[in-house]
Amino acid sequence: MRLHNDSATEAFRTEFSDWLDENLPDPAEATERPHSSADTPAWARAFQAKMFDDGWLVPAYPPEFGGRNAGLFEQLVYFEELGRRDVTRSFNPQGLGIVGASIVSFGNDQQKRDYAIPILRAEMMAALGMSEPNAGSDLAGLTTRAAIDGDEFVVSGQKVWTSGAHDADMILAFVRTDPDAPKHKGISALIIDTDTPGVTRRPFADITGPDHTDFNEVFFDDVRVPRKNLVGELNDGWRICNGALAHERAMLWIMWSQGLDKMLREFLSELRGTAKADDPVVLDKVGKLVADAQSLRLLGNRQLAKQQRGLVPAEQSILKMMGSEAQREVALLAVEALGPAALDQRRVPGHSSVFASDKHVVTWFNRYLFGFAGTISGGTSEIQRNIIAERVLGLPR
Amino acid sequence: MDFELTDDQLELQRTVRDVLAQECPPDLVRAVTEGGAADELWDTLVSLDWPGLTIATEHGGTGYSWVELAIVLEEFGRAVAPGPFLATVTQFASAVRAVATPHQASHWLPLVASGAVTGAFAVDEGAGTWLLDGVSAAATCDGEDLVLAGTKRYVLDGATADEIAVVVRLDAQLRVVVVPRSALGVDAFAPIDATSVHADLDLDGCRVPVDRLLGEGDATEAISAAIDEALVAISVSTVGTCQRILELDVEYAKERRQFDVPIGSFQAVKHKLADMYRDVERARALSYFAALCLAEGDSRAAVAASMAKAAAGECQQRCTQDGLQIFGGIGYTWEHDLHLYLRRAKVGELTFGGASQHRQRVARLTLAGGLA
Ligand SMILES: Cc1cc2nc3c(=O)[nH]c(=O)nc-3n(C[C@H](O)[C@H](O)[C@H](O)COP(=O)(O)OP(=O)(O)OC[C@H]3O[C@@H](n4cnc5c(N)ncnc54)[C@H](O)[C@@H]3O)c2cc1C
Repeated sequence: MRLHNDSATEAFRTEFSDWLDENLPDPAEATERPHSSADTPAWARAFQAKMFDDGWLVPAYPPEFGGRNAGLFEQLVYFEELGRRDVTRSFNPQGLGIVGASIVSFGNDQQKRDYAIPILRAEMMAALGMSEPNAGSDLAGLTTRAAIDGDEFVVSGQKVWTSGAHDADMILAFVRTDPDAPKHKGISALIIDTDTPGVTRRPFADITGPDHTDFNEVFFDDVRVPRKNLVGELNDGWRICNGALAHERAMLWIMWSQGLDKMLREFLSELRGTAKADDPVVLDKVGKLVADAQSLRLLGNRQLAKQQRGLVPAEQSILKMMGSEAQREVALLAVEALGPAALDQRRVPGHSSVFASDKHVVTWFNRYLFGFAGTISGGTSEIQRNIIAERVLGLPR
Repeated sequence: MDFELTDDQLELQRTVRDVLAQECPPDLVRAVTEGGAADELWDTLVSLDWPGLTIATEHGGTGYSWVELAIVLEEFGRAVAPGPFLATVTQFASAVRAVATPHQASHWLPLVASGAVTGAFAVDEGAGTWLLDGVSAAATCDGEDLVLAGTKRYVLDGATADEIAVVVRLDAQLRVVVVPRSALGVDAFAPIDATSVHADLDLDGCRVPVDRLLGEGDATEAISAAIDEALVAISVSTVGTCQRILELDVEYAKERRQFDVPIGSFQAVKHKLADMYRDVERARALSYFAALCLAEGDSRAAVAASMAKAAAGECQQRCTQDGLQIFGGIGYTWEHDLHLYLRRAKVGELTFGGASQHRQRVARLTLAGGLA
């Protein structure tokens, strides 16, 4: 155990930090904002492509996918540098982190060339079509059907919550290809271009406001998808659902950790010097959240240290649950500490850098609501607790 | 950072666990709880040189870091080990090391390392916060002697330790005096946990030679640092105890059947256990971080110590409450071992400031820029 990194890791940090100094866009040019999770302003596309080309987009990848085969702790300091400057890598996070990653892991060479690389270089925007009206936590219960017809699939059914689909060029859709197999065994992953005839996208607003339209219902009416768009093996889609994040799986916690650090930092800077900064009830809650943030960082680091030693860590399962719940708690505390001032939506904390991805979630009340995106999507907090109980503690199903 | 134990540290963990499984089984804890003694356990620990684990080799110790001490303490908590280890090593020796002159340290620390002397650390005077502004016990010089006045409360091992490091005011300065227990009025508690007995001490009229006054000048900072060490020790030991409660509960939830299924298949039980697991992992991480800060002399040690104490407090609260609930009626019996662990877990929370006090300290230090 030791507190500090070795010098090679710190040298990696310096190299990346220098690169950022050199290549970060001029904030004056970064004025155009994204209006969905698959809408990337021109300046951000150019920056993402530059990161890809210089091997700084996903350091864990080999150079052909925008990386430099970085080790675990190199990846960690990379994210620390991004976090310190509040810089987001991609305004299409499901594209970079899930869809692109799935194709890099499971796709064939042509799919990697035609989809993964364009997604990573922000030339193509991607959406993730997993959830359906009747398949949420029980994702394997999905019923969108893809029947084989010659060298095509014919897809019919519906997805929902498909973030950014209205701005996306393609959807990685999980579909049922064998209705007779047990439910986890009859699923496949298909790349569906959104301009294919029969695809209808209906965006709808989320809880944060009528203008914040990121969700979509996506309808498939006899959509003909070429067989070459099958990612991985037929009926092997469940493995892709679970392995989609393979390349950066070890780093997932960072997102929770940095999001929490950032919110806490911003809240504390607002709190400092106010009467509430002496209120024992507020201080009590602040102390809890500071400890949450620190423990998240520590558990994340311990997970990396275990992986580095070739062990299979169990920390992962608690990090998402802790991080998302703590984020929601910080926002709630900020709302409560503001009191009636939180009622006015014009009151906008002005902390986020222009390179941050969460510009649309500005007031503390909206941040509180947005906190539920963390505790609901990607496996709800209840599902996380089931996973901890069953897979980590070994309790019976 | 590298936040996982090294192979050597894992080896130490296994050794300590094995020794305690042998020398400190639940039967021994139960015997102590029912009025027995655990002198042999202490003799064994002394024969293994564990009292001197973190004492420098020049003072007859092993010279290990605080991380190794944390490993030992976690196992002690796991086994609810009774005896003078905690107070002697993590309170008395910490206070001496922090405050004493080199000459005084070379007198007292070898005595601790060899097991010749057991110790305690007397700070609080009734507020229950262990905050130094609550100290009003006084020392005055009278020729070659110091004369003490006041009372100290809630002193771990205050009724049994050989020597007690007492925090007093002398000429408006905070100082530490080492006082033989035999020179004090002692009022031992009828303890909720017989493996950690506290006592109130009456200092009035106690007279000791002036060379028992540690260090030179005001020792406020050094005493705070020693208290931080005590906090980390209690935290990591509480983590060990809670880890054991969690293990007992998980075992029981797999075994005990109702409605024809193991109770561990009920989600109300699963989610309680998942939250216990989270709280144990969180408190363990923060405790080892604090130990690592102490080991490396990092400036975050104070805030880290309070984070650890707060997290351990939250962890014990959940583990004692849900831990007992999951056992149902059998957990409510004297015969079942569960209460041995519950008692120990609770003691840690009630001393050296509870979780809420430490959360507030973390917040104040952070607002002041303490965890940049
Ligand atoms: C902001 C946001 C963005 C999203 N983006 C996408 C996207 O881009 N693509 C996509 O495919 N999906 C997306 N989703 C959907 C998301 O994955 C689902 O909402 C999630 O899986 C939960 O499914 P559900 O909404 O149907 O809730 P349900 O599964 O119906 O759950 C309802 C409640 O029941 C509880 N529950 C369910 N099962 C259990 C159980 N076994 N044990 C205990 N409690 C249980 C849940 O915890 C929850 O509290 C997004 C969701 C949000 C909020």
